[in-house]
Amino acid sequence: MSKRIVINPLTRISGFMEIEVTVDRNEIVDAKTTGNLFRGFEQMLVGRSPFDAVYFTQRICGICSAAHSMASSLALEDALAIEPLEQGRYLRDIIHCCEFLQNHIRHFYQYTAPDYVFIGENVLFQADHNDFRLPKNVNDRLSRHYFESLPISRSAHQMLAVLGGKAPHNHGVFIGGITTQATSEKIVQLDEILQTITAFIEEKMIPDVYDIARYYPEYFRMGGGYGNLLTFGSFNNYKELGTLYVDPLVSTPELEYPEPFDENKITEKIDYSWFKSKQNTYLPDETVPEPDRDKQKAYSWVKSPRYNGLPMEVGPLARLILSGAYENGISAMDRTIARALEAKKIADIMKTLLRKVVPGVDMQKKYELPEMATGRGLVDTTRGALGHWLKIQDRKLSFYQIITPSTWDFSPRDDKGFRGVAEQALIGAPVDDPDNPAEIGRILRSFDPCMSCATHVFSKGKQVKTIKVF
Amino acid sequence: MKKVVLPPESLTNEAIAARLTNAADENLKKGLINKRNLVYLELNGCSGNIISLLNGQNPSFEYTLNSLVDLRYSNSLMAAEGERASEKLMAVLDEDFILAVEGAVALKNNGLYNVIGSLDGQPLTGLQAATILGERASHILAVGACATHGGVSAAKPNPSESVSLQQVLLDREMIKLPGCPVNPDWFLGTLAHLLLYGEPETDNLGRPLMFYSTLIHDRCPRRPFFDRGIFAEKLGDKTCLFKLGCRGPVTRTDCPTRQWNGRVNWPIGDDTPCIGCSQFGFPDAMAPFISFDTTRVVKDE
Repeated sequence: MSKRIVINPLTRISGFMEIEVTVDRNEIVDAKTTGNLFRGFEQMLVGRSPFDAVYFTQRICGICSAAHSMASSLALEDALAIEPLEQGRYLRDIIHCCEFLQNHIRHFYQYTAPDYVFIGENVLFQADHNDFRLPKNVNDRLSRHYFESLPISRSAHQMLAVLGGKAPHNHGVFIGGITTQATSEKIVQLDEILQTITAFIEEKMIPDVYDIARYYPEYFRMGGGYGNLLTFGSFNNYKELGTLYVDPLVSTPELEYPEPFDENKITEKIDYSWFKSKQNTYLPDETVPEPDRDKQKAYSWVKSPRYNGLPMEVGPLARLILSGAYENGISAMDRTIARALEAKKIADIMKTLLRKVVPGVDMQKKYELPEMATGRGLVDTTRGALGHWLKIQDRKLSFYQIITPSTWDFSPRDDKGFRGVAEQALIGAPVDDPDNPAEIGRILRSFDPCMSCATHVFSKGKQVKTIKVF
Repeated sequence: MKKVVLPPESLTNEAIAARLTNAADENLKKGLINKRNLVYLELNGCSGNIISLLNGQNPSFEYTLNSLVDLRYSNSLMAAEGERASEKLMAVLDEDFILAVEGAVALKNNGLYNVIGSLDGQPLTGLQAATILGERASHILAVGACATHGGVSAAKPNPSESVSLQQVLLDREMIKLPGCPVNPDWFLGTLAHLLLYGEPETDNLGRPLMFYSTLIHDRCPRRPFFDRGIFAEKLGDKTCLFKLGCRGPVTRTDCPTRQWNGRVNWPIGDDTPCIGCSQFGFPDAMAPFISFDTTRVVKDE
């Protein structure tokens, strides 16, 4: 007998989300996640000054705002034909590193850990399930680290502010690199904080995640999904340093080795999304479709980006595997481990970049806008591949398209019958107690969904629930 | 970390805030403060204010959680999920609680652009939650630009028909803490005042005077450049950023002295103009944020 489970809200994510699954004989046989990237940023941006995109698009998301400043700055550099100084790239990427660190530490301790660790008696930590397996001494240690991690993630944002003015919603990332200049004082300030963060990751965060993995081993066999992986590249292609992390690559289970990523193979589909356009499949810079909430079959505001027609997983695990640094497998637990391992990698990258920074380099100019131009900025951010596509006409923005990592991971179905990545990852997962399902939230949170925008969910036969995605 | 305030007592906002924090701390140790319930609602926005609150120091977020309030509901942080979470939200209605709201209230499709959970299988919209909880709360804090006046969520053409919290709770008094995001000190300091002495003194727009009384321009360290007519022509310059579009002359916050993220920096310290993120009307009334057309004639010059 099949049973329908709805979780709304899925807490401990950024923003709001609902998930509906069908369970048959304690196994998930169908799943619908509906995220919505429709607060209407793409509409809001039309007519604004192109320069304002950098600060405006950060307001899409409070936990990953620097990511949008990165993608919009890259898109504007493309449109204005500006090549940043290598010093500008270093400093901008250091700011991006700070966001990775803040994000990964908070996602693991504040969002993920309460799924597996009993944090304490505080009302905030009352859970719905009772599947807490850690021995008392381990549980006590991880619960202490929940609180010890707060000054650490806070200090990651503090580093971000040293170069970026404030966080969240920084002022530093901009066309050409960052707005201010590095000074010796700032460099050592960052280096000291980074040492503390690195020690925390090595001595606490990574051992903690492996402790959880030891007591919840079945999660290595749950939440796998398609196994299609994509990255736009991350901390790569420096003139002197080469690639510190990963180049733009894709892989599928059929491929023996990853292939180079080709941006022309990205399409978006809206067959099951509440949008209308002349065609249901289009290129990112072709069209921003009109909303149409009465559309038949549609059940989500999220569109379905595809690569070469396939849904692709993005994020830390995809990056680690594609860079050759992780081989264990693809599962909910591998994703959670990858996030901790990547935090260490990012801390090391930041240290390398910091060594290359030269104080006093002014990378800003008085920029002029072209009458007409197009640009795109593709960059891997905390949660995966982020793309901004923009067009300028009469020195104003005339078009803006945003495809976020969580769009890749939380898309609805498409015309070929492919489910979205997270939907597929849920299929086949066991649900021990359908009245108190711990498994669904654990699998979904392994993707680190960022849902800070209104998301509408359709549940069978009935109208309509809403969720927020960005 | 406790900040020591030496006599004679300074009357700067920082000193007042530090004294309030110290007083709250001491009273707590004496058992004078009973923890009160706090409901933290995230509505239509970026959830950036809760992230900013996690950045709080003196008081820190963990101190607030352990010693000031019982945080009864927070989408970002609570362990419970699904209807169990929504039930916890509704259970607080029978008790005394302070309500903090970030994000705007989306009105389109009767609130269905922003459903924050479900109750009895029905969607619970942000609009419903704001109304139900807003009517019962003992005090209300509107946190961040979207809650205080619609903010970026209501930027034109405002596809979700977002409005401020006040617009759906017309008769309720509330403390307004604009900012994109709010500085954690503004929120946690206001909360401490509320617990110790009741509602802080506010201006005619509902903003606590201890944080929002003075124009950035009036305390800007670059003010001497303005007075002498020395203006930056590009980002990264160290002089007055007025001609690049700085909104310091119309924005009332203590950013020049308090700064951000443990006082390490602030936007003007980063050689960029203030974009007026803490001023009513942000973002549309503050756009363009950056303008390189510094040769235009400014009437007041």
